[in-house]
Amino acid sequence: MEEGAPIEIGEFIQGEGEPATSWLFLVLGFVASITFLVLYGILYPGNDLPVISSVLPIFEGVFDSAIWFFILGLMVGVFSILGTMLSEATGE
Amino acid sequence: MLVVFVMINRGIWVFTDVSKSMSMFMLEKALGPAVDFVEGRDGSGAKTWIMQGALWLVPSSFLTFSGLWLAHEPTALNSLASWGYSPSSEELILAGNLTAFHGAVAMLLIGAGMHIVPKLGGTSLASERNATLMSFVWTFSVFIMMIGAHSPQLLGIKVLFVGTMVQSLVAIAVIINQLLTASSRTRKMPLPAWLIIIGLISYPIALSVVAISGELETGLGQWTLVRMVGGAFFFMQVAGVSLYAASIGTGNQLWSRSLSAVILMGAIFTLNPLGDTTGSIAADLLGIDHSTLEASNTDVIAGSFLMALAAIPIIALSSNILVTMRGDDVFVENPDYPGMPEINLGGLMLLPLCIGALFVQTDSLTGTNELVGISGTMLLMVAWLLMVPLSLGPALAIFPEVSGRSLLSNIRSRWAFWMMAGGAFSGLLMTLMADFSEMALLELDPESGLDGISKEIRVIGSVLFYGTVIGAILHCLNIISGTFRGSILGGKQSESSTSIIQESFQLTSGTTVRKILASGANLDTEVIPTAQTDKPGSHSEL
Repeated sequence: MEEGAPIEIGEFIQGEGEPATSWLFLVLGFVASITFLVLYGILYPGNDLPVISSVLPIFEGVFDSAIWFFILGLMVGVFSILGTMLSEATGE
Repeated sequence: MLVVFVMINRGIWVFTDVSKSMSMFMLEKALGPAVDFVEGRDGSGAKTWIMQGALWLVPSSFLTFSGLWLAHEPTALNSLASWGYSPSSEELILAGNLTAFHGAVAMLLIGAGMHIVPKLGGTSLASERNATLMSFVWTFSVFIMMIGAHSPQLLGIKVLFVGTMVQSLVAIAVIINQLLTASSRTRKMPLPAWLIIIGLISYPIALSVVAISGELETGLGQWTLVRMVGGAFFFMQVAGVSLYAASIGTGNQLWSRSLSAVILMGAIFTLNPLGDTTGSIAADLLGIDHSTLEASNTDVIAGSFLMALAAIPIIALSSNILVTMRGDDVFVENPDYPGMPEINLGGLMLLPLCIGALFVQTDSLTGTNELVGISGTMLLMVAWLLMVPLSLGPALAIFPEVSGRSLLSNIRSRWAFWMMAGGAFSGLLMTLMADFSEMALLELDPESGLDGISKEIRVIGSVLFYGTVIGAILHCLNIISGTFRGSILGGKQSESSTSIIQESFQLTSGTTVRKILASGANLDTEVIPTAQTDKPGSHSEL
């Protein structure tokens, strides 16, 4: 580019379609995180996972009954209703 | 009832215009700025009521599910006690029933009625704004009731009574709105519209009749009030909306006007056995003390007789719905039309549940109490296999007309039906089996623990009932998305979800259009006349 020539500022472009293989990277990330967790157990045997091991005891005695799995399902359903309401109302 | 009927047809002498303008003022201007917060477009009232009714299905089904779960595991929600919430199975089932009947069923029925009455009368709803605004107040009253089912008294105030009072005010506004609509009709209204209007009016009338007779504080009076409200307010409205929807959904004409008239008169002059076996819910909702049902011999005979007579309007409704859906000669059900499977299920379940309820009610009225163990499950069956399908089905069927858009997906609607119906039917059938097994065990040995087979059946029953919760969520998602993205009514209709498409039909002899349609043909199918001859056949030339 010549010195002193006007600079053209580009525009942000986002495609409408979704590439068919984009899910592959999501799976790759998920597998990598599981691998690192397993690796942690091998490298530091006997040590609890940081953060997670201190959070889980809070829920001891709370999720004792299987009804909580169903409550979790209800929460997913209720949030999907709320999410649908919001996304449908604000979507173009 | 007759006075109201005559007044709607003849007016109130010289006061007709005054009462109309006065009522209209009360519905809109008297509410001040509040009424300006809501829109008054055509159909907005019905749409808001239907959407909120559908949304109430989710909490009501989940409360019922939790109640069924806690019946076999009372400590399942103990961890919530630290938040001050430790419900029992009975409280959750009561909350589930109140939200199902007063939230989901009543709102769906009132919403459907707000579309059907003006449509059949050739007019528009008197006040769309008032209808829309009142739907939110009704929802608020159901919310109060849901709290009252858990804590009957808060700060010395009877919570359920407050909920009833708020709901009664809304009911009066809805009744006035519908009466004004009926008074401005431009043509003779068919019977389904009258069923809806008289069903609505019967709510305050039943209450007034029992109160004036001085029986409100007796066990018999409370029991009768439950029968009257169930048989008139709920049953008549269910009959009105399902008969209308059965006809518009299938395109068949209503099978019998006489049977519709029988439903109307039968619902007024008989006691409907469908519903609770005690009057305690009426006492709770009215904030009065419970009274034991002590029926004399005459009461037992009269009550049993009137409940047995209720089989007439129930059979009339069932047959009228089912035959209307199928047409006069062949099976031409339109399976793609949303709401039709629900109405079909409700129509089929009317008779068996009526017979079951009759046994349970008679047992309770006579004081035998041998079947008291299954009365709770019978009430749940009436709610989820009869009242919910017969209110949700018509609401789904008229929703495209009300909102101007069809539901997002007919396939999702069908999935939701199977989840809801399958969950309720199998789950409650299992619970009923557990009830019977408990009754048998207790009869054999009253000291025996009930941790055996009945508990295991209850586990299966409650898990299966969870399908109803999933079905309710799917229905809500379908309705909400349909409101925004459903195909516009009058535009391109959603394609048939069936894979069987008949492109041509070989017409060999004279037949009816109904039979051609029944064979799988649609409006785009080419009918090809095939020539016939009486000449004897001969060998084919090779």
